[in-house]
Amino acid sequence: MNQATHSPTLDDNAPSELQSIIADSVERLFDEQVTPQVLASFDAGHTATALWQQVLEQGLPGALMAEEAGGSGASWLEISPVLRAIGYWSAPLPLSETMLASLLLSRAGLEVPDDPITLIQIGRLGDLSLSADGHLKGRAFNVPWARSSRWAVVANDAGQLALVDLRQSTVSLEAGSNFAGEERDILHFTNTRISAIGPLQIADVQEPVWLFGALIRACMLVGALESSLDKAVGYANERAQFGKVIGKFQAIQQQLAQMAGAIGAARMATQVALRSACEVLQAEAGDISSLAFDVAVAKVCAGEAATLATAIAHQVHGAIGFTHEHTLHFTTRRLWSWRDEFGSDSQWAEVLGQAAIAAGGKGFWAGLTQRQF
Amino acid sequence: MQALDIRPCRLDAKTEALRAEVREFVAEALKDFPAHERAKNWNGADPEFSRKLGERGWLGMTWPKRYGGHERSALERYVVLEELLAAGAPVNAHWIAERQSGPLLMKFSPEVLAPRLMPAIARGELLFCIGMSEPNVGSDLASVQTRASKTEGGWLVNGSKVWTTGAHRCHYMVTLLRTGPKDESNRHAGLSQLLIDMHAPGVTVRPIYNMLGEHDFNEVFLDDVFVPDDFVIGQPGDGWKQVGAELALERSGPERYLSSTQLYLEMLDEANPQNSRHSVSLGRVAARYAVLRQMSLGVAGMLARGDNPAVPAALVKDQGALLEQSLPDLAHDLFGGTRQAGSRLDQVMRYLTQTAPSFSLRGGTREILRGIIAKGLGLR
Repeated sequence: MNQATHSPTLDDNAPSELQSIIADSVERLFDEQVTPQVLASFDAGHTATALWQQVLEQGLPGALMAEEAGGSGASWLEISPVLRAIGYWSAPLPLSETMLASLLLSRAGLEVPDDPITLIQIGRLGDLSLSADGHLKGRAFNVPWARSSRWAVVANDAGQLALVDLRQSTVSLEAGSNFAGEERDILHFTNTRISAIGPLQIADVQEPVWLFGALIRACMLVGALESSLDKAVGYANERAQFGKVIGKFQAIQQQLAQMAGAIGAARMATQVALRSACEVLQAEAGDISSLAFDVAVAKVCAGEAATLATAIAHQVHGAIGFTHEHTLHFTTRRLWSWRDEFGSDSQWAEVLGQAAIAAGGKGFWAGLTQRQF
Repeated sequence: MQALDIRPCRLDAKTEALRAEVREFVAEALKDFPAHERAKNWNGADPEFSRKLGERGWLGMTWPKRYGGHERSALERYVVLEELLAAGAPVNAHWIAERQSGPLLMKFSPEVLAPRLMPAIARGELLFCIGMSEPNVGSDLASVQTRASKTEGGWLVNGSKVWTTGAHRCHYMVTLLRTGPKDESNRHAGLSQLLIDMHAPGVTVRPIYNMLGEHDFNEVFLDDVFVPDDFVIGQPGDGWKQVGAELALERSGPERYLSSTQLYLEMLDEANPQNSRHSVSLGRVAARYAVLRQMSLGVAGMLARGDNPAVPAALVKDQGALLEQSLPDLAHDLFGGTRQAGSRLDQVMRYLTQTAPSFSLRGGTREILRGIIAKGLGLR
């Protein structure tokens, strides 16, 4: 209504051509291949090896790597449809981890192996340490897809990134899983020699695996959240009781609208964080970045939305959504798992809260508008 | 889902420079403005302050010069609004006129009322209120009973309006009323918007005191009030459509999530960063502020592009009210039982605890908004 001067920056988040191509191909692949049968088979203990082959053929694991390093040179925004699709279709693959590991390895000037790669942040989840002469000692737990991964990328907070071969006698593994049955294993390193090490400098990023890990989980959560909403709206429009579809009842509408609001917030927060992630990779050493703030906001919003959405999606589905036969649980079990991983919403909220309290009433608004307290 | 999509909107350097200018102005103009007054946020009215904003060129910023505007971008205006609200500036006097009445006149009376009235709105001198609700008409707006009947050179209006914020200090009221007969098969037909001069004979304003004992709301009685033909906004019978366009402006602004900000600021000052109950709870709120700001800004970007983001606007308002209303309860949770009566925190909390219930009522109730969102999701 207001007559406004057009600003060229208004629509700068319109998807690039590469983003649309990536979205089309990954969505087609997962829609065809990640069937309820594949997911049930995964739940029964069979890894989705055929699916991984197809993902490899599309070049997805290396999508974030520079073209010189053998990747697609896509930006975080451009690969975001892949992360969303992993969540939307519950793809049971070490894909987001391998994508991030490949990016970090190539940034550190290290060779990127072809097999699945997992991620460990020293100082989080265990007592692992990296010695000056390149040996790993100690334990790391909740390591995603360790059994399926030949390699692990290990980051410390001193700006170093190491690659370690997990198939050696000094590494032992105890199998574990998250609520969705995805591998979350314990790795024991007894003076394990690393294969390579390099400096990893990303402006203003202290814990690269932890921070980007939270970003990829937030994006996957958004995909799973959208799936839970589509399933709940679809079911509400189809299930009839008292002579009409239940989606006509205000009680159902109100819940789904509230769920959509929380999901809209999570989606916005991840979009902003993805944009920051693009910028931070272009930034010079010493530049200030809002990435840590934006990722914290995204993981809090996505985690909170997961809590609300799982409850509402199940409530709307009634008893059928509680069965193994129905597909809702593939989504909700992942929501309950991923909201915990790479820092739960309360852990990230605590980081934000401490910074906000330090900024105080006087500094809060300035911090919010700069997206950094 | 498409209907709910809001894209992030980036502010350019020129807009950020304006932010610094506004921040400096506000710091100076409000340096002695106490916390319990800031707590009122956009409910606080000070016509003198509104005129000062007009002098700075910060009212009617996006309007054409011929209407007294300044032809700046919608996002520049957005930044001015958010800076004023974050500081708790008393903006209520001009708020409605500048936010929606000016744009309404520009769209539906571009040659008559707009050139005549908008320049004074942009100066912060001419104040508007909105007559929508009636004693028996709340959420179900289409059943308004106030009527206008045709007379020589104009219309005669009879009826009453209620919950009319600021009617006691405003010069004009944009009034939704019935000019045609009621048609049950098309409930939205026969409605019109007329501009009523609050000083015209037959207009009576009676205060309604809220539970704090404060006077913002009014009842307005209209008894054979003469409205000249010129003061019909748009076409008789188009009232419903016009109101619909106005609501997107009314629902998506930064005022829809910032109303309780002063309480959050007070809590940050009281909190102990070593206490994880404090930092986790206040951190969750910080995240909500961050994301709602982006969502609200995203909708501002959509409005600037000429979209009609009715559904995203409803979504932002619903989420914003949840944030605003959570803060008095959080203050109770963290500082209840230990707070000193009369302290700064207590004064701010006192005001917001007792006004927060209205945040999910005004401008469309939570239930109405969620109905709109549900429709956008493809339910119904």
